Amino acid sequence: MKNATPISRKRFLNWLLGTSFGATAAAALYPVLRFVIPPEVAEAPVNRVLAGRLSELAPNTGKVFRFGAKPGLVVRTATGEVRAFSASCTHLNCTVQYRPDFQHIWCACHNGHYDLQGKNIQGPPPRPLETYKVDIAGDDVYVTKGA
Amino acid sequence: MRRSLVLACLLVSAAATAASRAPQAVGAPGKRAVDTCTACHHTLAEPRLKAPAAFADADIHRLQGVTCAGCHGGDPTATDAKAAMDPKRGFVGKLARSAIPEMCGSCHSDAAFMLRYSPNIPTDQLAQYRTSRHGLALAKGDENVAVCSSCHGAHGILPPSDARSPVYPTRIVETCGACHGNTALMTRYGLKGTELADYERSVHYAALTRKNDLSAPTCNDCHGSHGATPPGVSSVSNVCGTCHVTQRERFDLSPHKDAFAALEQPACESCHSNHAITSPDDRLVGVGAGQVCGECHSAGDTGATVAAAISGELTQIHERLAAAEARVRKAERAGMLMDDAQVKIEEANQGVVLARVEIHSVDPLRVQSEAKKVLDGAGVADTLAAAAEAEIRFRRTGLFISLGVIALAMVALILKIRAMEKEKL
Amino acid sequence: MAIGEKLWQALDERYQLAPLVEFATHKEVPQHRHSWAYYFGGLTLFFFGVQIATGILLLLYYRPTSEAAFESVQFIVTRVPFGWLVRSIHSWSANLMILAAFLHMFSVYLLGAYGKPRELTWWSGIALLGLAMGFGFSGYLLPWNELSFFATRIGTDMVSKLPLAGHWLLKLLRGGEEVTGATLTRFFGIHVAVLPMITTALLGLHLALIQRQGMHVPERLADEAKQRRPLRFVPNFVLREAVVWLLGLGVLAALAAFFPWELGSKADPFASAPAGIKPEWYFLFMFEVLKLLPAHILGIEGELVGLAGFALAGLVWVLVPVLDRGSAHGRRSRLFLVIGWLALAYLVSFTALSLMGVFQ
Repeated sequence: MKNATPISRKRFLNWLLGTSFGATAAAALYPVLRFVIPPEVAEAPVNRVLAGRLSELAPNTGKVFRFGAKPGLVVRTATGEVRAFSASCTHLNCTVQYRPDFQHIWCACHNGHYDLQGKNIQGPPPRPLETYKVDIAGDDVYVTKGA
Repeated sequence: MRRSLVLACLLVSAAATAASRAPQAVGAPGKRAVDTCTACHHTLAEPRLKAPAAFADADIHRLQGVTCAGCHGGDPTATDAKAAMDPKRGFVGKLARSAIPEMCGSCHSDAAFMLRYSPNIPTDQLAQYRTSRHGLALAKGDENVAVCSSCHGAHGILPPSDARSPVYPTRIVETCGACHGNTALMTRYGLKGTELADYERSVHYAALTRKNDLSAPTCNDCHGSHGATPPGVSSVSNVCGTCHVTQRERFDLSPHKDAFAALEQPACESCHSNHAITSPDDRLVGVGAGQVCGECHSAGDTGATVAAAISGELTQIHERLAAAEARVRKAERAGMLMDDAQVKIEEANQGVVLARVEIHSVDPLRVQSEAKKVLDGAGVADTLAAAAEAEIRFRRTGLFISLGVIALAMVALILKIRAMEKEKL
Repeated sequence: MAIGEKLWQALDERYQLAPLVEFATHKEVPQHRHSWAYYFGGLTLFFFGVQIATGILLLLYYRPTSEAAFESVQFIVTRVPFGWLVRSIHSWSANLMILAAFLHMFSVYLLGAYGKPRELTWWSGIALLGLAMGFGFSGYLLPWNELSFFATRIGTDMVSKLPLAGHWLLKLLRGGEEVTGATLTRFFGIHVAVLPMITTALLGLHLALIQRQGMHVPERLADEAKQRRPLRFVPNFVLREAVVWLLGLGVLAALAAFFPWELGSKADPFASAPAGIKPEWYFLFMFEVLKLLPAHILGIEGELVGLAGFALAGLVWVLVPVLDRGSAHGRRSRLFLVIGWLALAYLVSFTALSLMGVFQ
């Protein structure tokens, strides 16, 4: 910039300084701003999860939902009650399902059967399914795990 | 002729015992029995005579009001020993071994009688026993076989649901083992006597004793308890299939079903053994050394080709799944969210379980269709892990760019300082 | 700029800002061969500032219980936008801050700047280093992963070796006999409340003293310093300091990019310790020596002798303004200079060797 006048040189330098500092500040503040704004999922889905909508759960049907990385099963019995269990079969961890024809829970892998209390009633499963607490708020079905 | 006469006498004496049982020999149900027998025998010095009295307290018969006279006859109210043990009052004393089943059956087979104690109590034990190997041998005069008291005990009998009872599921091996583990005794019957040791190596035993899974089979679950008989060759798959329904269904679809029946080969036992049933390993599929298909098939025949195809599928899914799992775990440890990938891995694991069931159909296409699900799941998990790795690289690039911005800011500042200080001079 | 001037006037009328401004800006920073060392203190302050900012951000999501700590860090790192960045920067800046603090301390020592009238500055500085290491030790447990759990267990075990009060101190630190959720909550309280409070006070004192007294020039560099023009603190030195801070920021960003901090696996108190558990690098020089000592020395437990040795060495280090009589008159002792170089050599070599795995 030899032929540039000192004044414009100074202005350029100030501009460069301002812009680069502005860019640095933005690069630092943008992540901070995004960080502070709460994410979509406000909490890690470890203990409580929205399993589904009551209106979408007809009597004598079941639905598999996700508890973080693990499967869960929410069942609406023929009488309209809503129950929730871990969907990991206690035999070899296959995902169980609700069978409307049996009106209870069944595992496709080795033909294990569980009743509507989650108790293992037939086949290889050695233990009952873990039961979860169900809370219904309006149309929302919340499932809570653990004591 | 002699034998049937003896049998007739035994039957008559048993019936007589039941008939001549003094009314007070069996008291009201649920009310602890009280008799002079126990009181007197308690005081005796000889262990053989004292022991039964000592066991009396926990014995279920006593708790239900059955006195010593209920089995041994005599008068449980008499204070005089001679009167109490009077044969005219039905005293039998120590029962002959061959008489025991009939004696127990005199109550336990009487449905109307047993109703006093429980509405659903089984009453077919004696009938079953008569069909069993033990019962048949006893009928022929062999007294070295098990009778009721051999397994249930004679005095201090506990219900089978009591964990201390010799016929509680976890204790059955011990109880049967008293005779069936005795090689010298077993050779006389053409048995090896190693069955128990074999069973103790099995997954069923491990499930029963270590995982406390009382539904796991022990001796009586496959052989029957009172009607104890080894399952016939044709019925082995029925026995195993009682629990292992899905594998049995696939087996029935396979050419093995008819082939084994024709060869009079026991179905499940041929590959999995009968007592030493260990955890099956996918590597057992094939005709090579130590592999089960090679028992009948040899390299080059149809069976070998099928085995190779199935084995190939299984190896492939294991490798792919293991690789995907490792990649996902690595990304997770680095701090990436891998929930979706883990769900896929769980699904893929389920596919592995189902593929293993399909092995029994010996149809490579069926195995393949389950294997495909595994490969798909593993593939998706792998893709998600790759995406996580890409995200890590992307972040690295982003930070690299911000390094550039910082460097620029540094340069600008240095120039500014220079300019400022030059000005001052 | 009229608003700015009006604001200044309003404040000045009420609080007489001129003397305050004079205090903050009057300093002149002497220039000599080793005046580059003057930047280390500010650099440490910069990293501390980064820690406060990123620490407060992490506080918005972190949960200090054994059930939720690991999961909350996992949440930050996986689900909060740029959470991975804030966390990595916090972890790296902690290490850089302690490194800068050591560099600062050693350059101050080697330049003999601890002598009268700067004893209190030296002592507050040592205390600040101790606090920084306390921050590091307490903060290390907070993610509640396998490595940090076992490192804390070993580290707190050392405390129990002290005679008389050892076990009592152990229980005080751990919140019980073992390292549990109680330890975690306690360390959290120490990390975000107790230590920051003390540090703020001491840091304020440390900075005020330096502002008041100005920079020390070693005797042998005095002539050079007189010949070269000193820099005005504001704006010349401060702008240069800003360049150094930008460099520090760049190094931080590079480390976060190329060596992101791992999440690890959740602590399991009942699992056996994984092989090769080591404390953080700034404790290694002590850790390796304690491990090398024999089980018993002259009937006393080896580790106790080691700790006593370090305590003694530390005491000499702290008391150097008093022990080095000459430093009060600008004639620092050659002996203490050599001790300083030896100490530096020992720290650097043992830390490096330990990191290279030579002590396995």
